[in-house]
Parts: sequence; C-alpha cells; structure tokens
Amino acid sequence: MSDLALAPLAVAAPAKSRWRVMRAVAAKEWLELFRDRRLVWLCAFVVALMLAALAFGYVESARILSEREAAARADRELWVGQSAKNPHAAAHFGQYAFKPLSPLALADPGVDAYVGSAVWLEAHKQNETQFKQARDGGVGARLGALSLAFILQTIAPLIVILMGFASFSGERESGTLKQLLSVGARPRDILAGKALALIGAIFALLAPAFIGAALALFFFVDRERLSLVDQFIRLGVLGAAYAAYLAGFAFLSLGVSALARNSRAALVTLLAFWLANSFLAPRLATDAARAFAPTPTWQEFRAGIAQDKAKTFGHDESHPGFVAFRDETLKKYGVTRIEDLPVNFRGLALRKDDESGYAIFDRHFGALQTAFDRQDALRAAPGFLFPLLALRPISMAFAGVDSRSQFDFASGAEAHRRDIQNEVSDNIIHFAHDNTYLAGPELWRKIAAFAYRAPGAGFALGYSLLPTAALVGWLAIAAVFALFAARRLRPV
Amino acid sequence: MLEARNLTKTYDGADWPALDRLNLIVPAGEVFCLLGPNGAGKTTTVNLFLNFIQPTAGQALVCGIDAAVDPSAARALLAYIPEQVMLYGALTGLENLQYFTEISGAEAPRDTLLSLLAAAGLPSDAFQRPVRGYSKGMRQKVGVAIALARRVQALVLDEPTSGLDPLAANEFAALIERLRKDGMAVLMVTHDLFLAKQCGTKIGIMARGRLASVFGADDVDHLGLERAYLDLFARAA
Repeated sequence: MSDLALAPLAVAAPAKSRWRVMRAVAAKEWLELFRDRRLVWLCAFVVALMLAALAFGYVESARILSEREAAARADRELWVGQSAKNPHAAAHFGQYAFKPLSPLALADPGVDAYVGSAVWLEAHKQNETQFKQARDGGVGARLGALSLAFILQTIAPLIVILMGFASFSGERESGTLKQLLSVGARPRDILAGKALALIGAIFALLAPAFIGAALALFFFVDRERLSLVDQFIRLGVLGAAYAAYLAGFAFLSLGVSALARNSRAALVTLLAFWLANSFLAPRLATDAARAFAPTPTWQEFRAGIAQDKAKTFGHDESHPGFVAFRDETLKKYGVTRIEDLPVNFRGLALRKDDESGYAIFDRHFGALQTAFDRQDALRAAPGFLFPLLALRPISMAFAGVDSRSQFDFASGAEAHRRDIQNEVSDNIIHFAHDNTYLAGPELWRKIAAFAYRAPGAGFALGYSLLPTAALVGWLAIAAVFALFAARRLRPV
Repeated sequence: MLEARNLTKTYDGADWPALDRLNLIVPAGEVFCLLGPNGAGKTTTVNLFLNFIQPTAGQALVCGIDAAVDPSAARALLAYIPEQVMLYGALTGLENLQYFTEISGAEAPRDTLLSLLAAAGLPSDAFQRPVRGYSKGMRQKVGVAIALARRVQALVLDEPTSGLDPLAANEFAALIERLRKDGMAVLMVTHDLFLAKQCGTKIGIMARGRLASVFGADDVDHLGLERAYLDLFARAA
C-alpha cells in the first residue's frame, strides 16, 4: 500500500465552494445523463420531433400564405374588374379581407385554424366569422396538429419529468444520497446543482427549436410588411416563457423527488400533475370560464345585432328614422324637395344608416370581445398552479395567433369596410344625380386593397400581463417548493 | 474528536430507546470500536453523528460542533464509510473521487487524486473503469480515498469489512491503523471481534441501546473479548 502522508489539500473559500458544489453536481448529472443512452436517444427523438414540427409548420405556413396571397389577388381582380354599376351595388358586391399569416404561426398555429382567416366585407354588415366558439377548444382538440408549441407545451414537460423524477429519490434508493450528504454538501447546494443540470438540459432541448425558429423567421418574414426585429423580440419572449414553464417543471420534479418515499411514488405524482396540467386543467378552466363569463351563441349574437339594426332605417324609406333624417336634411339645405338638394340624398341616407350601424356593431362586437377577455383572464388566473393555462395565451399572443390578434385584424377589416362604405356613399352624394348613376373602374381602383399591418410585440405584452404574472408565479412557487423539499431532505 | 453526550434516540412508536444516554469520547489518534448484536444501537449512533436522524435528547459532537445544530459543518469534518460504499455506477473510480472531493468543498489536482486512489489500494487499471464493475472491496477503497482527499479529522465506519475477503479486510485494517497514526479519530461499528481487537484502541460493547462495557484494546485478549461479548449478548437476549 502506498504511503498516506500526502500534502494537505487546499480548501476552497465558502462562497467559491458553494458555486463549485453546484457546478460539480450539475456536471455529474450531465455526465450521467449523457452516459445513459436511453435519455440521450429520448432527447434526440424529441429534438427531431420538434424540428420536424417546425419544418411542417414552415411548409404549411408557406402554403397558407401563398394561398391567401393568391386569393387576395384574385379577389382584388374581381373587385377592380367590376363592370360599371351603382357604387352602392358595388358595396353589396363586397370583397374579402384576408388576415396576413403571422410568421410565428409556423411554431404556434393558435386559434387561426378555428376562427378562419378571412372576413367578408359587405354593405351594412360587419361579419363575425372570426369569433367562432372553436377558439375555446381544449388541447385535446389540437392533438391532431403536431405543432412545435404542442410539443413544447405537452411533451417537453414529460421529458423534464423523466429526467428529474429520480434526482433525489433515486439517489436515496441507491444510497448515494447518504454518501453525498455525509461529505458535508448542503442540500440546497445539491438542489441548485441538480436544477442547474436540468435547466441546462432544458436549454439544450430548446436551443435547436429556437435556432430553427429563428432561421425560419429569417427566411419567412416579408420585411416590407413586417419588422424582422419585432419578430425576433417575439421569439425571444416566447423562448423565455417556454424556458420559465419548463424550469418550473424542473423545480417541481426535484421537489417531489426530494419528498417522495421512492422513485415510483415520485413518478406517479409527477405524471398525475402532468396529466392534470396538460389535459384536465385546460378543459376545466375553459368550462369554468364559460360558466362565469358566458358568451352568446352565434344565433343570440346575430339576433341582438338584428334587433338593434331594426331601429335603423336601412333601405326602408317609410321608416320613421328615414323620414326624420329626410326632413332634417331638407331643412338644413333650406329646400322642400329632395330633387332640389345640391347633393344626392340617397348617398346621404346611406352614409347616415352606415354610421348608425357602426355604433351598433362596435357595441356588440366590443361586448363580445370583453366577454372573451374575461374568459381569457379566468382561464389564465389558475396558471400559477397549472402553468399551461398561463403559457398558452402568452404563446399565442406573441405568435400573433390569439383572439386579441384576431380581434385587431377584424377591427382593421371593419375599418376598411367602413372606408369602402364612406367612399362609395361620398361618390353617390357628389356625383349621382339620379338613380341611374353608374360608377366605373376608376372608383373601384381608387378604393385601396386591404392592407393590414399586425401590431408589434408591445401590443401582445399589453394584454399578456395576467398570464405572465401567473407564469412567473408558477416558477416562483415551484422554486420555493423545491427549496422547502430540499430543507426536509433526509437520506434515510 | 467525536463525542456523544447523553445521546438518546427513540424512534416513533418504539417502546424503548434505540440509543439510551450514550456517552463516549473518541479523541484524535484513537479507534473506538463499537460491538453489539443487531438492534443494539450501533448504526443509530452512526446516523446521529452524521445527523441522518435527529436525536431525541443529548448531543453528537464532531470536533465540538453539534451535528444536530449544524449538520453540514459537522459532516465537513468527518468521513463516513458504510458497509457498502455507494458510488455512481456510470462514473469511474477517479470521477467518483473527484466528484465527492469537489462537493465536500475541497480542491485537489488530478495527480493527487490518482495518488490517493493508489494510496487507498485501488489497482491502477481500475481508476478509469466505471464503478458499476467494482467489487465491494474496491468500492471501500474509493471510500477511503474520498476520506483522504477531504483531509477530515474524524472517520465513522459502519461494518466496513462486512463481506470483504480476508485479504481485503486485512488491508483495510492496516489502512485504518495508518489513519489513526495520522491523528484521525475513528469510530468503527462492527460485528467483527477480531477486527475490533486488531484495529481498536478502545472497544465498547452495546446492548439494547446502552454502552454496556468499555475495554482498552490492550486490556483484553481475543478470548476475553469474545466471552464478554457473548455474555452481554446472552443477557440482552
């Protein structure tokens, strides 16, 4: 046996020592993880799945974008190709407003598939196809669409759980925890090291998806229409949100593993939570939101508008409102007959009726959006306990595919519709001398094509405060729980 | 130095204490061997010095630090070698040594760690092999190397030679003797009377949670120790 009389070893200073402990634990965890080929293959499979979903999302987005652009071009050609006709007839002829595809829809398709992407713009009517109830579909309804968001929201936490459930319980079962604590390592330092390793693994999982999404954005974004910087800011926020979501799962896994009697109990507990978070909570939260903040059915909504619209005169010249407006107009111009007016009365009446309609539409659609906002808030509020409820609205908001983005697009489309109505009514007012007046292609061309510019990332941030607070709360609670569990850590 | 002051542990639901007012002192350069039948309170004593369990009463002191008050500080001064040294199977012997040294807060260059493994008697061709292929004796040697790397002042051993072949057990005993001469305070729990006589400077026999007898190793021969042990064992039964 060799001589044991060795030179005394240098001992690290406490602060430095704590960092060294964390680093050493993290490095050991990584080494074990790397040498456990099963986990390496599992992670590789998930990364491949994410990249495949991203590639599929890219191809699908490119196809949808191309189709929408082609449809918008065709619709524009139809509009400007109209024969000579009365401008109001052209307004009834109508046109579509197509929602430009948000580039980040390639990662998170959001509600786009359920609310439609086109609004039919026609005279007298604000169409509401963008407010279909399908927006409330649970995650189960989306299983068919394997998007990057779905993988990160549902499968990635499962991977984190599989990596973390035996962190402490496995060491307790194998006896290494006893050995570990016997050398004087503080449980919270061990926890920090293990958390560092797990969070590092999460970043390793996220990095390929993040880089892939960044590259996809670089090639996908139409820089004349959208700011690449804004898209990268959105991507950065999404990366941070997903990292917080998964880091919370890392802390939860560590905490449960520290407290559980054995690894099996830890795994069962964590899987039960994963199921509740991924499938049960979204369904229950949606049902609860509907119960506490009900929205009208399509029929009720349409009937409400129709009821209010009945109070306006439309094309009904015997309507008291029409008669009152006619008398008021004649008085204003100091004439007694419509034929003596210097402008076309029918155009004035159309504009007046449109303006009455605008207020009605604004009230009803505003109330509907307010109800949706209340539902969204109710759904996101328990997000500090079931983080998918917090993450999903953030993800959809910053991907530009949530109900608020849809509402903003719908508002833009409605503003365009009103521009059309005002333009054709003005044309009638100033140029139509009788009911036989016809306008030509120059008027159709004068009405600009619908060009919607989606708002920047600040818009999404503005209404994502509640889910963001819930997500931060989730991360904080999970971290505190893990610390609490580490304090109670016992090797036997 | 290791010291137990009226150290008592009663487990939840138990009718009598597993350890009852234990008083002992293991100064530097002494090997105190605790003998006793199963259930005598030996492992409970070890677990209390490591604060793996909380005492019901009394104190377990490591160089004056109460293990229940500041377990990390107490553990930092002491090394623990159980019957089965549990290491990370996917890591090599050297990686295990490096890991446990680092997390104990100590620093040692790779060459020193290799020297320590050699000093503990691990064959050099095993240094870079995963520990999952190690024998029990080889694991014990890595455990000793960890204790050496940490330059601790006290060593707690729980049945360290149980299951070792005679050659390995003899090597281990020689190693303990060298550590003792180096000034380490050693508390060793064992069933092995010969090992206790061979390594110990003091030998205590426990029964039903109490330290029933204490001998100076030079004051008793193998036969006398065996007789005293069997006598206490019979009374305890």
